[in-house]
Amino acid sequence: MKKWVPAASGLLAGFMAATVFFADFSTGPKGTASNDNNANKSNAEKVYVPYGELDEYYMLSSGGHSGQLFVYGLPSMRKIRTVPVFSPDPATGYGFDTKTKEMLGGYTWGDFHHPAISETNGEYDGKFVFANDVANNRIGVVDLSNFHTADIMEMPNMGGPHAGTFVTQNTEYIVMPTRFSVPIGKEYAPLDEFEEKYKGVVSMVTFDQEKKKLDMSYQIMLPPWSYDLSDAGKKVSGDWIVMTTYNTEFATTNNEINASQNDRDYIVLLNWKELEKKVAAGEYEEVNGAKMIDPRKHKGSIYAVPVAKSPHGVDVTPDGTRFIASGKLAPLMTVFSFEKAFEAIKSGDFETEKFGIPVLPYDKIVEREVDPPGALGPLHTQFDDRGNAYNTMFISSEIVKWKIDTGEILDRTPVHYSPGHSTATEGDTASPDGKWIVSLNKIAKDNFLSVGPSHPESMELIDISGDKMSLTYTAPVDPEPHYAQTIHRDKIKTIKIYEKDEKREHSVWKQEDTRIERKGNEVHVYGIAMRSKFVFDAKAKRPDEIKVNQGDKVIIHLTNIDLDQDITHGFGIMDHDLNYEVQPGQTSTIEFTAEKAGTFPIYCTNFCSALHQEMSGYLLVEPK
Amino acid sequence: MAKKLSAGSMASLIGAAALIFASIKFPWWGMKFFAPQYPEGLDIIVYPSTLDGDIDIVNGLNHYIGMAEFSNESFPELQYLPGLIIGLAVIFIIIALLRRKSLLFVPVGLLVVGGALGIYDMNRWLTKFGTELDPKAPIELEPFVPPIIGENILANFVTHSYFTTGSFLLGAAFLLTLLPFWLERRK
Ligand SMILES: [Cu+2]
Repeated sequence: MKKWVPAASGLLAGFMAATVFFADFSTGPKGTASNDNNANKSNAEKVYVPYGELDEYYMLSSGGHSGQLFVYGLPSMRKIRTVPVFSPDPATGYGFDTKTKEMLGGYTWGDFHHPAISETNGEYDGKFVFANDVANNRIGVVDLSNFHTADIMEMPNMGGPHAGTFVTQNTEYIVMPTRFSVPIGKEYAPLDEFEEKYKGVVSMVTFDQEKKKLDMSYQIMLPPWSYDLSDAGKKVSGDWIVMTTYNTEFATTNNEINASQNDRDYIVLLNWKELEKKVAAGEYEEVNGAKMIDPRKHKGSIYAVPVAKSPHGVDVTPDGTRFIASGKLAPLMTVFSFEKAFEAIKSGDFETEKFGIPVLPYDKIVEREVDPPGALGPLHTQFDDRGNAYNTMFISSEIVKWKIDTGEILDRTPVHYSPGHSTATEGDTASPDGKWIVSLNKIAKDNFLSVGPSHPESMELIDISGDKMSLTYTAPVDPEPHYAQTIHRDKIKTIKIYEKDEKREHSVWKQEDTRIERKGNEVHVYGIAMRSKFVFDAKAKRPDEIKVNQGDKVIIHLTNIDLDQDITHGFGIMDHDLNYEVQPGQTSTIEFTAEKAGTFPIYCTNFCSALHQEMSGYLLVEPK
Repeated sequence: MAKKLSAGSMASLIGAAALIFASIKFPWWGMKFFAPQYPEGLDIIVYPSTLDGDIDIVNGLNHYIGMAEFSNESFPELQYLPGLIIGLAVIFIIIALLRRKSLLFVPVGLLVVGGALGIYDMNRWLTKFGTELDPKAPIELEPFVPPIIGENILANFVTHSYFTTGSFLLGAAFLLTLLPFWLERRK
């Protein structure tokens, strides 16, 4: 008996040691992350853009509540530029210099959701990109010749323009339907009066490309539903816009439950051409400075199509013949035919009328329902050049590729995780390129080095050029890429420097013309920045000194006379919370009141040359 | 009296005059600079009447080493050079019309002397700009003379100086002034 005790204990010790040293301590079965090294190698080659070469596409991505536009190169996914639109940016002086400060109107953030590139014949023309601020009812526009915000406009009567921006096919209008219904003018009204007093409003904005000025053309008053992602028609459907709605229940509290009761919500079809005519004919009311038209009082311009409940996205196919709605809560995609809808409208074939809007018969308009087994939470649709649609599935974390004409599911690829929008190369134009799609994922836990409880969001690049989709690359991203549009690089023509315009207000182009002028208690500085000095007054003993009295209003106009690409100068004043930049050939102005007496160094904040460090001067504020 | 120039020789001289005249519209000389941060290169292009290219940028860079600024004003030659060229062309035409063989040496002589003076003048300027550097310049550099033709390295810049279209037209004009000597050789 005694003999087996040491033998057994020896064996046990052996097992213990083996377990301690060699066992796999991870728990449970493993997932199927790609470990195919060959595939990864060729993927690396696909995204590698060697020195001296450029990316093929610009991806213009919203920055969500950062209020910024993120610019990426595709396929490398390198971030090329952050363009401040609704938020100040000390790096570029956006929101600090006089012009941009006025443009921001006192706000320090905005919620940038859906960029829309200007279009000609349903194609991106690469001139401007429009953006909505869901938080403060604004629209902004970025000039793609210099990637600067050119104009911002606040819109009355809106409750968050979430369902925009999108443009009609020749940028006649930039359209923004409201997300939250509010009483007109946001006047006080109890929520018990929601159905009567609250309104959903669509803003129809125009943009003067010459003057770079936004203007409110007219607004459309709709029932107090919530409007979600929308799109403009193309070609045959070019006069129309389609919008998803939810909360046809008129819920006013606990919306997650109460706004999800009805089995059907609606897609709203609006004929903007028709409305435009009626507005021109004076059929509108003036409401808080906007021309407001109620399409329910003007027959022929609004229709509703029933759709599976709480739809999120609706997208028009590249050929403009169909629109595809995705039901967030009823997990299927529905393909509707514009032509059938137009027929029903023509023959007055209405199922019923709801809230004064004729409702088209679902069965007669629908072309097909597409319900990939197990796919949950379809949100948005993008397209390729071969008649296929690509849908993000928020809940089942995948992208599904299917054939529009047949509804056949062609391929599915997992993404990591919870994709909202996606952007295919030229994927929502009349002629998509069908090369890449980027999935904009809300969650990315475990995919990148940990930075604590909150992880970056992610963008995943998927090759869609072949029959099968191929997940190629992933990159972390600042919060929050909401939607993006991807445009071929050939369509964007940037300027190299700002034209030397000697007539430009406040500009100075020669050192000897620099001067400091006093008008009462205002001090106007007409200065220049050049490698590697500031000249504020060439005739002064110290040309780089600005001397004022305490309490003076100081206005500094600075022109960068280095007409050399990429030689940007900064201008920071110590202890004044002021920094702005002048790009080559640009004139910018800041204003401030010299409240603090004292000596404050001024220096170039934007690295400009070998002698950048020497580029400095002084602001002297003489005490009262 | 010597024999008159043949029609061929006349044509040759008029051709030379035309080329000389045409050269006013073309650049004569240039310098191109390359540096890591200027892979596309910066240009100085010299026409008989004006400077062209990235003059402002080059001036901006030259201020580091204290080189004087290039401008049309800094080269008085640019004011009267077009006049000289036109004068030269007119002289050629007159000689062609006079058809005197003995005058054939004048165009050749003028071009040789003019060319020599031109190169001397250029060298004078290059020496002046390269050696009279501002002693207070932020970057101190040994004085230098950029070559009239060929490659040179200065700090992080590689410069290429070269003659171009206008000079080639002058060269062709020179050949055309030599041609009559051959045409008239047996007469
Ligand atoms: Cu600087």
